Amino acid sequence: MNDDTLTLYFYKDGLTPAERRDVQSALDNDAELRERYARITTTLAQFDVTDSAPLPADMLARFHDSIDRAARSEQQRASKLPPQTRWSPFAWGSAVAAALVLGIGIGLFAQRDQVPAPGINTGIVTIYPPAPRATSVAFERGLQVYLRDSQQELSGQPMNTERSAIALQLIRQNRLFERAAEEHNSKDLARVLRAFEPILLRLAADDISEREAEALQAQLAFELKVMLTKLGRNLSEETGPI
Amino acid sequence: MVAVIERGVLPTQAEFHEAITRRADRWYAACLRITRNPELAEDAVQEALLSAWDKRSQFQQDARLETWIHRIAINAALQLIRKNRPGVFEPLEEDLADHDSSPVTDMENLDLSDLLAKAMRHLSDFERVCFVLKHLEQWRLTEIADELNSNVSRVKQGLFRGVKKLRGSMPDIRSL
Repeated sequence: MNDDTLTLYFYKDGLTPAERRDVQSALDNDAELRERYARITTTLAQFDVTDSAPLPADMLARFHDSIDRAARSEQQRASKLPPQTRWSPFAWGSAVAAALVLGIGIGLFAQRDQVPAPGINTGIVTIYPPAPRATSVAFERGLQVYLRDSQQELSGQPMNTERSAIALQLIRQNRLFERAAEEHNSKDLARVLRAFEPILLRLAADDISEREAEALQAQLAFELKVMLTKLGRNLSEETGPI
Repeated sequence: MVAVIERGVLPTQAEFHEAITRRADRWYAACLRITRNPELAEDAVQEALLSAWDKRSQFQQDARLETWIHRIAINAALQLIRKNRPGVFEPLEEDLADHDSSPVTDMENLDLSDLLAKAMRHLSDFERVCFVLKHLEQWRLTEIADELNSNVSRVKQGLFRGVKKLRGSMPDIRSL
C-alpha cells in the first residue's frame, strides 16, 4: 500500500468504500504500515495552519468601506425612477401596473365593505387596519396576477437594453405590494417580496454582465413561479379556483 | 436554485460589517495562501465582499455569512491568479518544483507560519492550490477539480506531489 493511498485515507476522500475498508483492514493488521501512516498524519498535522495575523487598520477600513459604497450605490439606483414615457412601448409594463392597481384596488374595495375603522392616507392608497380573511384573499389574487405577469415576461423575452429601467419599475411596484402586504398583516409575504429587491437591484446595475443578468432573470422567474404556486395553493384551499 | 420564498430575511449591511470585523483576517489569510501575493489577496477579499453583497439574495439562512463569504473569497482568489497568470493551473506532467520566486519571495509580509510558508515555496502553483484547498479549506477533490477546470485524477496527482514535497521539506525546516 503506497503513501498516496494512505494520504487519501487520511483526507477521507478519493477512495471508494471498499478501498477504505481495505486500508482500514491493512492498518489493523500491519504494524509497519500503521507506523508509516502515523508519520504521514503527524507531518500533515503540522500544516494545520489556519491562524491569521490581525489585518492592518487601513485594509480593514477598506473592506468595511466597500460594503458601505455598495449599499449606497444600490440605494441610489433604487431611488432613480425611470421616466414614465419610457414605459409606453412595453405592454408587459402596463400589464404589471394594471395588476398592481387591481391588487390594491380589490383589497381596498373589500376593505371598504368590511372595515369601518379610520384609515391612514399614504398618498397612494388609503391603508386600513389589518384586514379580515376575505380582504386578504382579494389582495392575494391581485398579487397573483402581478406575479404571473411578471414571471411570464421574465421568462418569455430577454430584457437587454431596457433591463435597468424595467428592473427599477419592478422595484417600485414590488415596494407597493410589499407595503400593502405589511398593512394586510401578511408579514411573511412582505418579507418574501422584500427579498426580491436585491435581485432586481442587481438587474438594474450598469455593470452587470449579460450572463449574470440572464441567470438572475431565470432565478427571479423561478422565485415568482414558486411564490405563485404557493399562493395558488392557498387560494384554492380557501375559495376554489379563480 | 434555492427559492427566496424558502429563506426569508436577507443579511443586512450591519451583519456584513460584523462578519468583516470577525473574519476578514481569515479570509485574507486564506486568499494569501492561494495567491501568495498580498495585493491579490486583498483584491480577492474586496471582490468577494462586493459579490456577496450583490448576491445576498442567494445566501441561505442555515449557512453562516462569514463561511459563505470565505468560500466566495477563495473562488475570487483562484480567479485572480488565473487571470493574472493564464495556464497557471495546468498541471505539469513532470514532477517539477516551482522555483519561480515571484511574486513574493521573502515571505516577510506573510501571516502564515514560517513552517508552512517556507515549505510551500517548493510547490508549484497547481500543487499548492490543490494542497491548500484540500488540506486547509477541506474541499472535496471533485470540487477542486471543478474549480480548476481539471479532473479528479490530476488533482490527486497534484495533491500527492504537494504532500510529498512538503514531507520532504520538513527536515530542512526543522533545522531552521
